[in-house]
Formats: sequence, C-alpha cells, structure tokens
Amino acid sequence: MGALSIRDVRKSFGTTDILKGINIDIEAGEFLILVGPSGCGKSTLLSLIAGLESITSGEIHIGGKLVNNLSPKDRDIAMVFQSYALYPTMSVRQNIAFGLEMRKVPKAERDATVARVAQILQIEPLLDRKPAQLSGGQRQRVAMGRAIARNPTLFLFDEPLSNLDAKLRVEMRTEIKLLHQRLGTTIVYVTHDQIEAMTLGDKIAVMKAGELMQFGTPQEIYDQPVNMFVAGFMGSPPMNFIPCTVQQQSNDYGVELETHGQRYFLTLIGGEKLKSSLGRDVILGLRPEKISHPGEAHQASHIATRLRTKVEILEPTGADTLVVVIVNGKKIVCRVHPKFAKAPGESIELGIDSSNSVVFDPSSEARIV
Amino acid sequence: MSLLQRLEPQLPKIVVAPTFLCALLFIYGFILWNAYLSFTPSRMLPNYEFVGLIQYQTLFENERWWTALKNLGVFSFLFVGIALIIGLLLAILLDQKIRGEGWIRSIYLYPMALSFIVTGTAWKWMLNPGLGLEKMVREWGFADFTFDWLVNPEKSIYTVVIAAVWQSSGFVMALFLAGLRSIDDSIIKAAQIDGASMPRIYARIVIPSLVPVFISVIMILTHIAVKSFDLVMALTGGGPGFSSDLPATFMYSFSFTRNQIGVGAASAMMMLMMMAAVIVPLMYSDLRRTKGT
Amino acid sequence: MSATTAPGTNRVARWFVYAVLLLACLYYLLPLFVMLSTSLKSLDEIRAGNLLSLPKSLNFDAWAKAWGTACTGVQCEGLKGYLWNSIRFTIPAIFISTLMGAITGYVLAWWRFKGSNVLFGLLLLGCFIPFQVVLLPMARTLGWLGMANTTAGLVLVHVVYGLAFTTLFFRNFYVTVPAELVKAAKIDGASFFQIFGRIILPISIPTITVTIIWQFTQIWNDYLFGVVFSSGEQQPITAGLNNLVNTSTGVKEYNVDMAAAVIAALPTLLVYIVAGKYFIRGMTAGAVKG
Repeated sequence: MGALSIRDVRKSFGTTDILKGINIDIEAGEFLILVGPSGCGKSTLLSLIAGLESITSGEIHIGGKLVNNLSPKDRDIAMVFQSYALYPTMSVRQNIAFGLEMRKVPKAERDATVARVAQILQIEPLLDRKPAQLSGGQRQRVAMGRAIARNPTLFLFDEPLSNLDAKLRVEMRTEIKLLHQRLGTTIVYVTHDQIEAMTLGDKIAVMKAGELMQFGTPQEIYDQPVNMFVAGFMGSPPMNFIPCTVQQQSNDYGVELETHGQRYFLTLIGGEKLKSSLGRDVILGLRPEKISHPGEAHQASHIATRLRTKVEILEPTGADTLVVVIVNGKKIVCRVHPKFAKAPGESIELGIDSSNSVVFDPSSEARIV
Repeated sequence: MSLLQRLEPQLPKIVVAPTFLCALLFIYGFILWNAYLSFTPSRMLPNYEFVGLIQYQTLFENERWWTALKNLGVFSFLFVGIALIIGLLLAILLDQKIRGEGWIRSIYLYPMALSFIVTGTAWKWMLNPGLGLEKMVREWGFADFTFDWLVNPEKSIYTVVIAAVWQSSGFVMALFLAGLRSIDDSIIKAAQIDGASMPRIYARIVIPSLVPVFISVIMILTHIAVKSFDLVMALTGGGPGFSSDLPATFMYSFSFTRNQIGVGAASAMMMLMMMAAVIVPLMYSDLRRTKGT
Repeated sequence: MSATTAPGTNRVARWFVYAVLLLACLYYLLPLFVMLSTSLKSLDEIRAGNLLSLPKSLNFDAWAKAWGTACTGVQCEGLKGYLWNSIRFTIPAIFISTLMGAITGYVLAWWRFKGSNVLFGLLLLGCFIPFQVVLLPMARTLGWLGMANTTAGLVLVHVVYGLAFTTLFFRNFYVTVPAELVKAAKIDGASFFQIFGRIILPISIPTITVTIIWQFTQIWNDYLFGVVFSSGEQQPITAGLNNLVNTSTGVKEYNVDMAAAVIAALPTLLVYIVAGKYFIRGMTAGAVKG
C-alpha cells in the first residue's frame, strides 16, 4: 500500500485538457518531485492532490484511502506555498497553531506542538513576531513549521524556494532534505528547477503539456531519458543533440561526426537496436561532460574518439570551462578543464566518451537506444 | 451530517442571496415597475390601465420638459467640459513636484465632501444680485458691473454650471493626477533624450495615455449631471419660473407635487435612457480597449 | 511622471505654476470663507459691506438662531431636530450596508459560483442608474410596508442603494488578497465563516474605513431620498437646510442661512479633515470600475 496513488487522473476546464491521464505511485516516506516547464500541469496536479480543485476523472488515494470527494481539511495533508501565505495579522506562534486550532486541538497540546516545531526549525526567537517582520528565509521556515505542526500523512510543497535568492535557495534546499530525513514524511514537491529536482527527490515525475513524460529515480532520468524532452530538460548545461546517420565501420556500429572539415567515426554501444537502425537519420544525445579534454579515460575506453575542432565560444564557470564548438553543423557544449581551454578561434582537441550516449528518433523524439 | 454541514457547499450562495435579491428587486424590479407606470394614465395614485405611449406624448408636448432637456444639454456640455479642463490643468501643474502638494490637494478636494444643498446655498448667496458678487465687484470700482444671472431666466442655468464645476473639478483633478502618476517615468526620459520638448511630450505621450481617465471622468461627470437635483433645488429652485429646470427637478415636480405620476414615470424612463446612451458606449469602448491589451 | 527641475526649466515657469495653483486654492476656499464670515455678521453689516469684508466681531447670534429658532416651513425650531433625524438613519444604514458589502464582496472574490459574475455585473450597472427611476415604486413600497416617513424607511433606502458601491469596494479589494492565503486557510481546515472572520476581516480594516467614510458622506449629504421618502419633522438635515433657506417670511436673514449651511456641512467636513486620505481613496476606488 503506497502513501500516494494517482490513477489515470485527468483535469479539464471546459474543452481544454490540463492533465491528460497521470499515473504515479509512491511509497510512504518517499520524496516525489513533480518537475516540468511552466504550463505542464504540475501545479494543477498538486492542487488536485490537495483537494483545492476537483478531478475531472481518475482517482487519488492518500494513505490507501480514496480522497476524490474529500475537502482539503479532511485529507490529512499540509502545504507550503511559493509565497508562504502566512496569515499577516497573526503572530508566528498563531500561524503555526492555526491548523491545530481549526481541528479543535486543546490549548496545552497546541502549545507543546508549537514549541517542538519551533525547536526543530530553530525559530524560537521569532514566535511572537508578525510575518511582516521576518526575512524571506524566516518566513519560509515558519511556513514549513505550520505544515509540520499538523503532522500530516502527506506534505505538499508548491515551488517553495522560487522567491528566495540563489544563495538562500541552496541553504534551504539542504534544510528541506535534512527535514525529510529526520521526519520521514511523504513529500510531493513541485518545482521548475531541475537542479532542485535532482538533488532533493527520491523519485522524479517529469511532465510536459499535461502528460507524464517519465517517472523514475534521478539517476534513471538522467542516464536513461525516455525522449528528447526529458533528456534536454534535466541536466545543466543541457544534453547536446547532434543530427547524424547510423553507419557501420568494420564490425562496429556508430555515427559519423563532421567538424572543422574533418570526419570522424564515433562508435556506439547499442546492440540489436542500433544494428537495425543502420542507414537511418537519428539524433545523438551526448551530455557535455562526455565531451572533454582528451584524458586517460579516453585512452583506455575503446569507444572513445578524439577529434580536433575550432573553439567558437568560451564560458568559464570556475570549476570547468564550457567550450562551444560546431559538430555536424550544430553548436554543441563541452566541459573542459580550465587548463585545457583554448581561446575562441583557436584549435582544440576533444575526447568523446560515448559510453552513456543516447540515440533518438528525429520525428518521434523517442529514444531508440 | 448536521444541517450546517449539509448546507456548507451552498453557503456562498445563501450569503449573497439577500444582496442579490435586493439588487434584483429594488433596482431592476423597480425599473420595470416604473416603466409600466409610464404606460399608465396614473395621476395622483397609480392606475394600472395600459394606455401605451400617451404619457410620453404628453411629456414631449410639454414646454417645460423641453426647457429641462435643453438645459441638461447646455449644463452637461459646459459642466463636463469646464471641469475636465480645469481638472486636467490643475493636475498637470500639481504633478510638477510642488511643495505642499498634500495641502493643496486637500483644499481642491474638500468641496466633494459637502452636500450639493450646502454648495447650492453658498453659491446662491454669493451670486445674490444686489448683495453678492455684483456688489463686491462694484465696490472695487466697476460701477456698471451687473451679475443678475441667478434671477435672469436666460442665464440661470449657467449659475448651476458655476456651482457644479466648483464642487467637482477637484475630483477630476484627483483622477487625472493619479493617471499622470501612473505613467512610467522612463518613457518620458526616453522621449526627452530623443529630443522632444515638454509640450510635445504632453501632447503625444502623456495625454494619449490618459484616455482611460478621460473616459472614466466623462462617465462620472455625466452621471452627476443627469442626476443633478439637489444642486438645482438649493441654488435656483428650478427658477426663475422653469428656466433652470432639469429633468430631475421636472420629474420630482410632476411626480410628487403636481400629482402626475404617469408623466413623472415617463420622464424618469427618459432619464434612464439618456444615462444609458452616454454610459454604455463609453463602457463598451473602455472594455474593448482593455480587452485588446 | 513629472517635469523635474532639470536643466532647461526656468524659474519664471515655476512661479507661474505656483501662482495658478494658489489662485485655484483661493477659488475653492472662497465659498467657505464667505459662508463663515457672513454667518458671523449682523444683517446691517451684510448690507453695508460686501462678500469679502470681514465681520466686525465674532457674532454667533445667527448660529444660535439657525440651531434653535429659525423657521423651516411651518415649524420654527431651527436645525437641531433635523440633525438628530440624520444621525438616526445614517448610522444604521452605514453599518448594515458595510457589513453586507463586505460579505458579498468576499463571496464574489473567493467563492465564485456559476452566475456570480453576472451578479457582479448587475450590481456594477446598478451604480449607474439615475435614482429618479426607482422613486415612485419605492414610495409605493414603503407605503405598503408601513415605513413611509420613518427612520426605518430611510435606512432601507440608503442600504439598498448603497450596496452596489460597498460591494464593489470590498470585492475590488478582496481580489488583491493573494490566493495562496485563502488556500492555506482551507488546507488548515478553516470554514467559510472562519476564513472570513479570522483571516479576511483583520486585513480589511483600511477598506472598512474607506467604505464607512464614503457611505457616511453619501448618506449624510443626500437630499433626494430625504425629501421624497420623508416629510416635515422627520426629514434629514439637508432638507431642513433647504427649507430654512427657502422659507420666506419677511426679511431674508442671510447670516442665519449661512450659519445653517455651515452647521449642515460640519459633520462631513470634519470627517474629511480628520480622515481625508480614506475619503480620497474611496473616491478614486469608486472611479476605478471593475
């Protein structure tokens, strides 16, 4: 019995379909991320789980119980909002206790809960302040405190870190992760930031235009994306997509890469699927970190290839430098150690590791290999 | 489930029902009732026999009604026009980072806090022929100055314009000032860098972006003009004779003093239609403009 | 926007601006000054001097007369009775119309249902009608209900015709409340009324103030409803003032007239002086439709 079960859930407004049949199952204690671009329906799905909007068809089960017709307050959930939504005229203490008050929890118990929550989140000195007197990060904690106080079956987070500046965002991300480890409650977390998705989630559901593109662990989504959308959405900088044709060279199958006037053959591991695509036009997906300065790995692996090309643009990021070159007519991004970076216009030698490469069909954008 | 729980989803509708019913009944229901009355020969008491458009015919054969209509036209045109100009001018001037702006604004706006009766009474005294404005200007040396507009049938309606403009132009100023303030400074700066002079900036950028305010102001002022009753009653009583009558005073007189309810109802319907004729097109153009953005 | 005192603005222009603004101040203050000074003069002083001449001394005789003994038609008891009349119906009307407006605005903003937009549209339109078109039916209705010429009748009238505005004020304010606040309260388990009482009302104080001040001004200053739906001693102070000024028995006592006008104007004027910014907010809010 899972903590949350979403079965073929659809949502329409009049003739517009916002959600077109979503199926997700997670176990108790798991951290589920709903990620996708604006308009993909992730916030709507969260609203449906919360009971703030009604489902057009399908079922949602929380803790094994069908909740379709239950109002939010009967679903044993708590929610943290993007704008925190703290009650402006109440003190922090009253904000945290409000949900308990509505459920007629006796005062003594309420006070004890508020004290416990304040201690977990380290907001004890703020208890008597009003929201207007708090900083962004503090408000964020109070919002979480309000949710924790209710001790629900399910925590819902709606882009809670979007309103924080970059540094604070990283700090709060870690805190949320720690909280999850400590409390062990099931969490559903909506974000458009794929870094948050990768670092926080146990399971990720990538959504686009109302459909579930892929559901799996972060590593699965990263290494084995099911189509070009998922591949391009997760990972920063995004995966390179190189148009090419499947060819054969002696006993190996692979693709031909043309850059700066030279042609190279890149061997791919793909077994039968690759063999049966011989001659087809495909899109090769290579992550930037797989195209790097020639190093030991490239010498050792028999599927590595070296090529020489011209640098178009350089983007130093400190830890490594992103080099943009042109292959098969397309701009691709490579991660190179700063030491090996060359200036724009100069020639550079790169090594490609195709061991984790992916091959897509150009028209369906689905993964072939 | 208790009764309250069963009712809960319907609560919003139950709660607004009283307001809804009030609106339905006391506004729209009454309008229909009044419309029906205008088709009856009612005099002192309602008589619900249907006689078609006879009362409207009576209305439009009545010289006093025509005077009232003509006065409304003159009054509205002058009132709206002058108040617009004064309000816009004062708003533009006040927008120039004036010291004491708060005080000045309060002074311009306080007339709106007064009843039209008070305004009418005050101006009635100020324009008093013999003791008011006329006497004052004569004592300043202009011995031949006359200002008997208040008692002059040809000019009495203009006194209503004067008092109404005094009361409402501050309000117009407030609306234009808010409109001016909402214009993005950087657009003006860009225009200045582009080499445009201030008058040109006003003409080509500022005033066109005030169009929504113009529409609002015209709607509100017209509304005030058509409804003008209190001011006329206090200032001229509709006189001398009927020379400063307006449809509102006409309606009151015929309905409640002269016991001609049918005619009164007809005049009220005409007032409603006149209001609609101005408000509806303005609202429509406003709606279309905002839909397009 | 403003033309800043950047290079190119000349001082003559600035002086001109100030001069015009000051002239306008005099224009708006003139009637108030005239009312006050005339009310403090004796009739002889009035005839001897002109509008702008100052009173010789602070003579409050006219005021006393306006308050207690001036004739308003058949009665000669001044304005004091009328003042109480106005207070008696104004206060309940403000209270009821504000409360109804608040809860209706709350529903229209946060608990929309099928047709609630239509209701809102109808109310909005209702702000625009000339009241002449409901006078006759309302007069008959009040008669039926036995409320003709009563305080209750005037309360009813002012509540009904003030609802459109009060609802508009509150609804326009409530739609600016962040949606997430109401969602959080729903998830916390608060009911329809709990959300209204614990969350919405506490943040409504400024809007409530604006509404009360606006309603007070509208209702107190009204003449049309007062004169149509009540008569004689029951009438509000506006009607009392008009009667006082237009009762022509013998010599016209302009000083009494002016004193009466000031007395009638004082309440709303005082509210304006004390809480002017709320008044202005009400005016401009009412002008921003929908």
